[in-house]
Amino acid sequence: MGGPGSSPCASCKLLRRRCAKDCVFAPYFPPDDPHKFAIVHKVFGASNVSKMLQELPVHQRADAVNSLVFEANARARDPVYGCVGAISFLQNQVSQLQMQLAVAQTEILCIQMQHETTLQSHHQVLELDQDDKALLPHSSNNNINNCNNSYNLGYAMSSGQLMSNFASPSSIMQMQMQDPLKQESLWT
Amino acid sequence: MNPKRCAACKYLRRRCPKDCIFSPYFPPSDPDKFACIHRIYGAGNVSKMLQQLPVQTRAEAVESLSFEAKCRVEDPVYGCVGIISLLQTQIQKTQTLLARTQAQIAVAQAKHSQTQISEFM
Repeated sequence: MGGPGSSPCASCKLLRRRCAKDCVFAPYFPPDDPHKFAIVHKVFGASNVSKMLQELPVHQRADAVNSLVFEANARARDPVYGCVGAISFLQNQVSQLQMQLAVAQTEILCIQMQHETTLQSHHQVLELDQDDKALLPHSSNNNINNCNNSYNLGYAMSSGQLMSNFASPSSIMQMQMQDPLKQESLWT
Repeated sequence: MNPKRCAACKYLRRRCPKDCIFSPYFPPSDPDKFACIHRIYGAGNVSKMLQQLPVQTRAEAVESLSFEAKCRVEDPVYGCVGIISLLQTQIQKTQTLLARTQAQIAVAQAKHSQTQISEFM
């Protein structure tokens, strides 16, 4: 973009210098968007941005510029917290959603356990009808109900059978972001 | 040289005046903090930013700048924007899983009601 006869890039325009053919800024700061470089220059400084770009392979520079522009704009909007404000907000959102998910998963476990308990007691009543009714020729409904209750008492389905149907709590932990910085403290 | 220079003035090899804008936030015990911020933002820019802020907000501003500078050093392409992107993805995935789980609850509740009704019949 730089060079004689062509319009200087936004950086060279702001810095009031000749835009060289190999200007490191030219591919990423076109002259029709002066604000983009202005905000990056204000927060990071032209020489720092130049150094950062020169240390990166060419194919990564566009992404680097975009992220620098994003951070600079965030800092301009919120001079105290910058991007960290957004990170804090999103982390809260993640925590809330994970709590809601944990509650929902617990609820479905309870429903499933209730359902299994109901089915089990129903099957046991049927077995009682087939096996024990012969021994009790004049069994009343009350006796059958009592057997119902005794079969219900102390019944517990193994949690392993239930858990295999649902995402385990550890899967929630797996969704935690893996970043180089500890989540509980933004400042460490 | 004053042995009680702040980390910033030590790094910049200059005298640390009484009203040094950096000294409350860059103790000499943590030289890396200023070094990292200086590498990304430059001393002049940080000084300007702090001067434009009320005194009671400057400590928080320095901590957030330090965090962002560390992110940028560790990830020169995306910096802390990488973390934001990761969090947004995590939110989307969790929302999807939550919606699925809530749908499972609705189905399980409907099944359970049907079972109860058939028992009464």
